[in-house]
Amino acid sequence: MSHGSIIKVPFGPQHPALKEPENFLFEVDGEIVVDVKPRLGYNHRGIEKAFELRTYIQNIYLAERICGICSDAHTTCYTQAIEELLNVEPPPRARYIRVIIAELERIHSHALWVGIAAHEIGFDTLFMYVWRDRETVLDLFEMISGNRIHYAMNTIGGVRRDIHAAMVPKIKKGLDFLEDRLEYYLNVVQTEQTILKRTAGVGVLKPKDAVNLCAVGPTLRASGIKNDVREDDPYAAYDEVPLNVITHEGCDVLSRILVRCEEMLESIKIIRYALDGMPEGIIRVRVPMKVPEGEVVSRVEAPRGELIHYAKSNGTTKPERYKVRSPTLGNIPALCKMLLGGYVADIPIVLAGIDPCFACMDRMAFVDIKKNKEWIWTMQQLRRKYAKK
Amino acid sequence: MEKENEIVEKLKDFLKENLVNVTIPKKRRIFVYIKKDALEEAMEYLVKDLKFKHLSTITGVDLGKEIEVIYHLSYKGSIMLSARLAVSKKNPNIPTITYIIPGAILYEREVHDLLGVKFEGHPDLSPLILPEKWPKGVYPLRKEHQLKHLKEMTSEKRGERN
Repeated sequence: MSHGSIIKVPFGPQHPALKEPENFLFEVDGEIVVDVKPRLGYNHRGIEKAFELRTYIQNIYLAERICGICSDAHTTCYTQAIEELLNVEPPPRARYIRVIIAELERIHSHALWVGIAAHEIGFDTLFMYVWRDRETVLDLFEMISGNRIHYAMNTIGGVRRDIHAAMVPKIKKGLDFLEDRLEYYLNVVQTEQTILKRTAGVGVLKPKDAVNLCAVGPTLRASGIKNDVREDDPYAAYDEVPLNVITHEGCDVLSRILVRCEEMLESIKIIRYALDGMPEGIIRVRVPMKVPEGEVVSRVEAPRGELIHYAKSNGTTKPERYKVRSPTLGNIPALCKMLLGGYVADIPIVLAGIDPCFACMDRMAFVDIKKNKEWIWTMQQLRRKYAKK
Repeated sequence: MEKENEIVEKLKDFLKENLVNVTIPKKRRIFVYIKKDALEEAMEYLVKDLKFKHLSTITGVDLGKEIEVIYHLSYKGSIMLSARLAVSKKNPNIPTITYIIPGAILYEREVHDLLGVKFEGHPDLSPLILPEKWPKGVYPLRKEHQLKHLKEMTSEKRGERN
């Protein structure tokens, strides 16, 4: 099948198919991708070093800003790590509020992703509809926290804002609307030929590869592997909330869409249960500034999959070492596997299929493909070009 | 805690004196300290026999004279086992585990980039995160590099280019 020559095509950091900057180098033989080399780091901000220079309280704000979409997942992971080091338990009401915020975030993140996936396959009508409905969640966030994206709900020892009784009917009304819409979209995804033709059998990741390459989250669950931190290693109030882990056996992009759509419906059920079962009481406990010596591994199921933080304290007000591994980095080896042997035209949708969040990850690299080798510019060349202007 | 204890007992029987220290701080968390030379056999045993098939990440910690490398493995997504070992800063070489867990490929590169641990046998240790022109031998997460110091180093380089 070889056409004789292999062409290297750079893809990103600036590319219309990527909503965030990252660089991949593809080697293509005709229309077939034969090699993928990721080159991360375009967005590298040195956050782990920054953690060591700030106090535990300041670091809450830093953790919130690791990512613009799953900001709550990072602070949940951070605050529960520090709570464990301090040997403090957040109050029961705070644990329920964390679940509600986490699940609202999952809906808004997955809805954002469904829109992007639709956009990548040229189905912009669906993209517009889903994003319109996603506004419902953002409005609810604004009502609860005052912010649409960086809710700043978590703090060490609990949460910063309560969900008052007056808010509950409004949240439930929003959920009813979303449930109706999401059921409609689930039907669209399963029946619309535009989607099926572009996603079924595309970007295949076999269960064995998914395990060996340590894939996480919806990407792993769409390869039929039942694995979810919320169920396997419960945190916040997930040990008290009924949870149904969604899996699909298709191993392709279509399965990844289905897993996320059904997870949104599952999240709605969880929020309803948590709103009704939320115990009364205080929402935070006061904690000391100094954290005793120790180390901890903290895990959260972020919208994109398993998020893991490792913290080591040294008895002062600043951590000795703080490590963050976001789910996108965990999915990059699996992504490279999915892209191999596929068509160039499918690169955007397969790439979008893992729901990459490069801001979270950055620590990662991709290879770009355009028409010609000469098109590969180094950062220095780019900088020089723009410095002149 | 039964499963955790069972895992620890099996690991003790297998590694014997190569297992330096074990703690189970709470449910579903195990920390083990192994000798550097036992890394490969320990990993192979953990992954193949004890079914710790998922590697969540690899953390490097600067301890002063040594660098600690921590492998965070999980059993059925549930029990987290953090296997750690220390390598000297002067000679920070340890064998790669990519042939045991292919998913380790980027995590090893990350630790190499930021802390300078050399994973022998890794297929490609080229920079993953740091820019191409990053000064050689400068590993930003090592404690001897203050932020000010790093900024000076990189801004100088920027000056040269312009």
